[in-house]
Amino acid sequence: MRLALYVTCLVDLIRPSVGMASLRLLEAAGCEVIVPESQTCCGQPAWSAGNRPLAAELAKKAISELEGYDYVVIPSGSCTDQVRNVYPQLLADDPLWAPRAQQLAARTFELTTFLVDILKVELPPADFAGSVTYHDSCKGLRGLGIKRQPRELLLKVRGLSLDEMADCEECCGFGGAFSVKFGDISTQIVDRKCESIAKVGAAAVVGGDLGCLINIEGRLRRRGDETTRVLHIAEVLAGEES
Amino acid sequence: MAGAKHSQAMFFQARAGEKIRNKVLQKALQKAKPLFVGKRAKAMAALPEDGFEFEALRSACVDIRNRVLGDLDVWLELFEEKAKATGAEVLWARDGDEICELVIDVARRHGVTKATKSKSMLSEEAHLNEALAAAGIRPVETDLGEYIIQLAGETPSHIIAPAVHKTIEEVEALFAEEHGRPLETRTSADIPAMTREAREVLRQHFLSAEMGITGANFLIAETGSAALVTNEGNGRMVTTLPRVHVVVTGIEKIVPTLDDFATLMRLLPRSATGQTISNYVSLLTGTKQPGDSDGPEKTVFILVDNGRANLLGSAYQEMLRCIRCGACMNHCPVYFSLGGHAYGWVYPGPMGSVLTPLYTGIENALDLPHASTGCNQCGTVCPVRIPLPGLMHRLREEQVERGLRPLGESFALKAWAWLAGKPRLYRWVVRRASRYLNWLADDSGRIRILGMAPGWTAGRDLSVPAGKTFHEQYAARKRA
Repeated sequence: MRLALYVTCLVDLIRPSVGMASLRLLEAAGCEVIVPESQTCCGQPAWSAGNRPLAAELAKKAISELEGYDYVVIPSGSCTDQVRNVYPQLLADDPLWAPRAQQLAARTFELTTFLVDILKVELPPADFAGSVTYHDSCKGLRGLGIKRQPRELLLKVRGLSLDEMADCEECCGFGGAFSVKFGDISTQIVDRKCESIAKVGAAAVVGGDLGCLINIEGRLRRRGDETTRVLHIAEVLAGEES
Repeated sequence: MAGAKHSQAMFFQARAGEKIRNKVLQKALQKAKPLFVGKRAKAMAALPEDGFEFEALRSACVDIRNRVLGDLDVWLELFEEKAKATGAEVLWARDGDEICELVIDVARRHGVTKATKSKSMLSEEAHLNEALAAAGIRPVETDLGEYIIQLAGETPSHIIAPAVHKTIEEVEALFAEEHGRPLETRTSADIPAMTREAREVLRQHFLSAEMGITGANFLIAETGSAALVTNEGNGRMVTTLPRVHVVVTGIEKIVPTLDDFATLMRLLPRSATGQTISNYVSLLTGTKQPGDSDGPEKTVFILVDNGRANLLGSAYQEMLRCIRCGACMNHCPVYFSLGGHAYGWVYPGPMGSVLTPLYTGIENALDLPHASTGCNQCGTVCPVRIPLPGLMHRLREEQVERGLRPLGESFALKAWAWLAGKPRLYRWVVRRASRYLNWLADDSGRIRILGMAPGWTAGRDLSVPAGKTFHEQYAARKRA
């Protein structure tokens, strides 16, 4: 099985370990993983700003790079949502691109969904000492139905206990440009998330979207929480040395 | 546009900061949210026990609303015909000013000096209370929440819980001042006692008002009736005691049949307050007939456009399905960080972020369609499946198309997209950015002020890894 790993721009710049961990997980599962070299950005910032022409341009670029593989795997619910749900809608009126967008959408999966629902293989067991709580990111949860898959995977990690926080499905207030444009509202929202995390008292908060995680970690640290770790699920599953 | 002159929606961002700093407001909001969310969840979870399933009911409700909007003129004509046959008068208003003119005219024709009101958001769109007062007619709000904010000289901050932004302490102080009774006559936070006190005051008004003004949750075409859903019974007092009853409602509120109304009622109270059914459901048909013991001698329907007809056949038509349950705002993280007043016009939360620009002009509410994290909790709970984030997104596109976005934002996006189209250059820039971020970080590996996103780092630290970019690491791994 030959698949393309699409590494999001945030992972590339801010936390490359998420990409490396995803790579190791997929290879350990027996996949031939290729990271297409010309990949850049899925176009989500342009799309959510309402700039359709720019978003379409970047969608076409991504489609050209990512089609031709058995699968495309992305360690992010929101970028996967962009490819699966937005690209076909964005290019629906383009007779040349619409079918290509649809074909790519059907073959593109978020990492945990791919591991659990498509690959269905046993991963080499990872270790994690302590309790974690899982934050359900909005786009993955409501756009792609990611809920059960990350939990199934986490429960296989040796030494890990999963403690659900209250309102784990509540938005963390990131929302991409929202947290930059409306920083104070976003802070107010992420504060509630931080309080839920504090209340459950887990050693780490884990999620599938780096945007949310950077937002949560940033607020936890500013509030003075120096100990709660904030980890992408790929990092937990691949072992802590990724 | 009628609402534009009153809309404060352009000041959303400035208001937001003010609302976040208001500790009393924050306390009120934090108390209210779990109640709304919990009650709705419980009511929806209980649905299968009653033999109905949420998604199936939702589909039925969507179908009813779409059927009406598909032939709105036909259903309105039928409603007019049926309502007239019951003895009611049917009038039409293009905008808020016309609503005020028509209501005042009816009041003058019937020698009205005082009007009791049951909650009507359309009268907020029209600023009807101000117009009535200016015409020498005293409007008295009788929904407890509306009554509170009328005393306080404020506007509703929520479409079903207008005073949700107020704490008990604030209402106690307000009552003590307005009712002229010292606080000591009640124990603190005794809500039943406070309600009783308001009721005693309102009772006099119910009995002395010559006219009652209400909205309508639905208009039923086949019977020419108005359907009114309340929890306090004030709707009945307002519609049966005065000589004249005026219904002010939007043209989109129509449903074809009583059966359709019954279907919608399975989801409206459950979505709004988590109730199986609201305490009072009134179906008001026509005027008092010979032999009837009560009811108005005169019923007037004022059917209002105020921007609604423009949405028919547009990309925003789905918004007209809205049945005003408030579930979208009850589940919105942005709404519950600010309360409704930040949104600057009659309708707050996700539905307001769509309606306000459409009714008051897209250029008069530029922030609202962006005031969403895109989390789609609103779309998930909407009983009539309005794709609220999708409609906000469409409004964002329209802002771009009409050149209404700030130049800096357009330029940054174009620059980003241009760069993303040049992979080799992009890689180089990301590598430089990675080094730059490292350089910005302090000893603990955190960036405390990021010039490019000062609003973000005002509340957060950005953690920076000391490593290289993913693509650098990947290239090194391939070489090894």
